[in-house]
Amino acid sequence: MQTLTYEFPADRPPARRTHVGVVGSGDLEVLMTPANGTARVRVRTSVDGFDTVWRTVLERFFARHPVSASFELNDFGATPGVVTLRLWQAIEEGRA
Amino acid sequence: MTSATDWAARLARTSFIELDARARAAALLDDGATHELCGPFDRIESPWLEPQGVVPQSDDGVVVFRGRLGGRPAVVIAIEQAFQGGGIGEVSGAKIATALSLAARDSRGGATTAAVLLLETGGVRLQEANLGLATVAEVCSALLELRPLAPVVGVIAGALGCFGGMSIAAGLCTKLIMTEEGRLGLDGPAVIESEAGVAELDASDHPLIWSITGGGTRTRTGLADELVLDDVAALRSAVIGAVAQGVPAEHRSQRSELRARIEAARPSGTHDVVAGGAPPMSRGRAWTQALADGGVNGGVPSLITADLTLGDDIARILTVVPDPHSPYHRARRGQVGLREGLALASEVTRTVTEDAHLPDERRRPIVALVDLPSQAYGRVEETLGIHQTLAAAVDAYATARTAGHPVIALIVGTALSGGLLAHGFQANQILALDDPGVLIHAMHKKAAARVTLRTVAELEELAGRIVPLSYDVTDWAGLGLCDELLTVENAGDPTERDVRKAKDALTAAVARARRGPRDLSNRLDSPGARRTRAASHRVREALTSQWD
Repeated sequence: MQTLTYEFPADRPPARRTHVGVVGSGDLEVLMTPANGTARVRVRTSVDGFDTVWRTVLERFFARHPVSASFELNDFGATPGVVTLRLWQAIEEGRA
Repeated sequence: MTSATDWAARLARTSFIELDARARAAALLDDGATHELCGPFDRIESPWLEPQGVVPQSDDGVVVFRGRLGGRPAVVIAIEQAFQGGGIGEVSGAKIATALSLAARDSRGGATTAAVLLLETGGVRLQEANLGLATVAEVCSALLELRPLAPVVGVIAGALGCFGGMSIAAGLCTKLIMTEEGRLGLDGPAVIESEAGVAELDASDHPLIWSITGGGTRTRTGLADELVLDDVAALRSAVIGAVAQGVPAEHRSQRSELRARIEAARPSGTHDVVAGGAPPMSRGRAWTQALADGGVNGGVPSLITADLTLGDDIARILTVVPDPHSPYHRARRGQVGLREGLALASEVTRTVTEDAHLPDERRRPIVALVDLPSQAYGRVEETLGIHQTLAAAVDAYATARTAGHPVIALIVGTALSGGLLAHGFQANQILALDDPGVLIHAMHKKAAARVTLRTVAELEELAGRIVPLSYDVTDWAGLGLCDELLTVENAGDPTERDVRKAKDALTAAVARARRGPRDLSNRLDSPGARRTRAASHRVREALTSQWD
């Protein structure tokens, strides 16, 4: 298990906090809490050694969706596609 | 042959199985009136997973919703099967037990609150072994607290099914609703195969497994009540129907038809019954004979009973002992099997019935003397419903405790898993010998290592740092589950001094039990538990404050 933290510039706060997903095989849960001025991400993942992949996936996501919030990701081996989908679902449900 | 209407229903349905726990709970309750308690943003995670390198989940895999079912107040408790195989840990177990207790509190106050348990679980989460096992006992106790006041409806929709200690909870439910996909059994097929060999049960033979534990069989044999299609509307209407029926006069775990079926079974088959000889000596038998006032009796050879004077009381001792002649070949070494579960239930119930006319404080103490390798892992056991016989024992012990009988467990040897849940863990007070031969755990080392994908060496290293994983009796006592550890001269063959010491300790335990609560709350309020079970306390506080 590895804990990773990232921060990305963001300026669009969500309307509400949201929770999506499950810490199950190939999946992850996302807890999104509104915050100001930045997207702060903490990842706890069961698979060690994928720091660069996480950075790339998250960088790309927050470049397109600069949602200012704190994101807690509890991951059980989700692929980049599933990670992006869950993040998308979280910000979608957080819209006004 | 499947009719055309069946197909239409199958095509039009919305699958319940495909929903996660949160969506399942929401789908059952009446529209718009749901309210989640102790949810993800309370962030009460298991404190034991991260130090073992396991990613925790923010709700620890149990979702608690309050709302209404067909207009009646209800709490829905859903286990998430995708997280750690639905395993019950300290936090998830505390959530279930506390929610059931709060529903009981409201029901006693006049606001009858039914509970629905969505059971998809492999049982105790082995990463939290001893605390998981303890919370399962507390779940059973809380369920039995609510059951006389409001219905507790169990749903096993699948795909995981309900196994391990939680199958005992299923056996205690007022009504049990299953789908064809759902399964119910004490020991999962992989566990039986690895414990007893592929000849006992082939875990890859799915038709065989479903023919034993599947929802179809379980409803046909009366171990579940209703078989429904995997459809949200069908499940919701079955649950509402079960809640509307209220509390029956007699519950499944008290009914006698299972006893008749088990007594009629002729299980020995190809495994020949060993002939003749004196009963083998075991720690359990040695301590029972040493403590007993007079002779030792038994209804079945594997359960011995005796009277024991403790101060002004004459207590009854119950001990499960090896019976090499048992027709159940998987239950010859002192395991709690079909016969033993039922015999425990009837002995305890007999004591309760005999003392029913006495004032509460004069009712006889019951001593559960524990020295058992485990429950019986076997195919015949699962076919006939061993989980239900263990539920009968749990029900009887909890009933005795609630009626005022001081129930004291005295652990003198091994006390593992479902065996301990059925015989010992419903006690007001738990005493254990401080001896290397005393082993209290959710699963023995080799099997626990296999299930958690670790080597025995890795498990031993973890057990040194993670207290609930420890196999050492003093560590176990440190969890706050033990009321007294006794140092004796000879744990295998007690000396006179040992017997006197045990009697004094039992007498003191009886006095404490009579003064203390009749539920299991003392397990959470003990000084040790205040230290090690801080997360359970947080759950109890959060759920209680968010309840209304």
